[in-house]
Amino acid sequence: MEFAILLITILFVSLFQIAVPFFVKRTVVFGVTIPYEEARHPKVMHYKKLYAIITAIVSLIAITGFFIWNQDTTLGETKLVLIGSLIPFVILITGLTLYFYFHYKMTKLKKEQKWFGEIKQVRVADLEARSKDEMLASTFHLIPAVISVTLIILSMNLFDQLPNQIPTHWGPDGTPDAFTDKSWLSVLSLPIISLVFQFMFFGINLFTKQSGIKINAGNVKSSKLRQLRLRKYTSWFLFLTNILMTLLFAFLQLNLLYEDLFSGSLLLLVPFGFTAIILAGALILAIKVGSVDSDFEGKVIDDQSANSKTESVDEDKYWKGGLIYFNPNDPSIFVEKRFGIGWTLNFANPIGYFVVLVPIALILILSFSI
Amino acid sequence: MLSLNNDSDIPLYSQLSTQIMESIVRGDLSTGDTLPSVRVLAGDLGVNMHTVNKSYHELESKGIIEIVPKKGAVIKANEQKISAKRIEILSEEFRPIVVEALVNGMKKEEIHQIITNIIIKIKKED
Repeated sequence: MEFAILLITILFVSLFQIAVPFFVKRTVVFGVTIPYEEARHPKVMHYKKLYAIITAIVSLIAITGFFIWNQDTTLGETKLVLIGSLIPFVILITGLTLYFYFHYKMTKLKKEQKWFGEIKQVRVADLEARSKDEMLASTFHLIPAVISVTLIILSMNLFDQLPNQIPTHWGPDGTPDAFTDKSWLSVLSLPIISLVFQFMFFGINLFTKQSGIKINAGNVKSSKLRQLRLRKYTSWFLFLTNILMTLLFAFLQLNLLYEDLFSGSLLLLVPFGFTAIILAGALILAIKVGSVDSDFEGKVIDDQSANSKTESVDEDKYWKGGLIYFNPNDPSIFVEKRFGIGWTLNFANPIGYFVVLVPIALILILSFSI
Repeated sequence: MLSLNNDSDIPLYSQLSTQIMESIVRGDLSTGDTLPSVRVLAGDLGVNMHTVNKSYHELESKGIIEIVPKKGAVIKANEQKISAKRIEILSEEFRPIVVEALVNGMKKEEIHQIITNIIIKIKKED
């Protein structure tokens, strides 16, 4: 069971990492902005292919190694799980290292070729785009908060009846193997953490909605469609995550309040099932967003309304290392990631820190203080 | 579609005002429509909020939009837009350009032609 779950996760991470350069926007190659007409430049395609081949080889070696380790019965289950959990990070770090190498190569190529030299650079906005925005309402994220609050009240009522030792960790067969002393914090921490998560998701959705719908003047049609899809599907994915996380925390809390409520196998199956749903959701998101305005779309420009050569303003100077966005002029708090699918913070905006980093810090403090 | 040229000598806020007015002329925006909030439009364009704010205030002073509390920037009805005073200001603004054309020997008809061409271009764009 553990082997299968870990293998699926490793395969998923590998495939995702290999495909990244092909499903990101085709005008941003390894974090470097290029004009649409250069998206198929032979050197650009060569770098992307090279990246994919090297990442694929590393992933293949890691997966083969994992199979061999699995055959080795002397290794023991905990060690196998540890190795299996480390492999995705090895693949991610490989991808990141290659990213930086090709980011450097692309920066050099862009300079040599003097791209953007004669192209008119404009900033565009579509006043109708907002009416086509299909993001979920932010208040959706507060609905699951009802469950968390109910659990807090329930736990407070049952506090006196609870045993003096509260389980904090469960073994592979679902029996608790670590305990902590009963206190208000240890009894209430799970629903409080889920409440913090719900407010964080609410904030992320709210500020993503207010962030700019970035359209590229070089290909208005595709770039707009991609932005709208990114907004729609990430907000649904965030809501799915919210629901599953709330259910998982509620499940664990009920298990804490009423001993033997759930069987051991159920305790194991629920987290695995939720991981599988999240992975499937991420896959759908990646396909829906990654198939538009990327190399997967096929034709470079199908929109001929732009008669003269125009492109959007090259904003590379605001992207540190091509990964970290720092633009004090842009009031957007979340912007589309340059290497991957999803959003990244505008680090020049303090509201962003407040929306994401404060809740995470709070959650970490709560989980470590138990 | 609003489009601002980064390399132009015309300041961004002024370009934005012109672009919004062009959208009204073309019929992309009509009376009673609400413009996006300053934060939202600045985010879409990736420009400073002051730029959008300045443009909205310029449009308000020109009588093109009305800034309604809680509702935002609303496009005013056509008939109530231009006052005699505004026409006077407009003709003052036209004057130096007309003078420059005349001093270069352009004829009245040629100037009329230029203006007609500009009108056709604005209405055709997009």
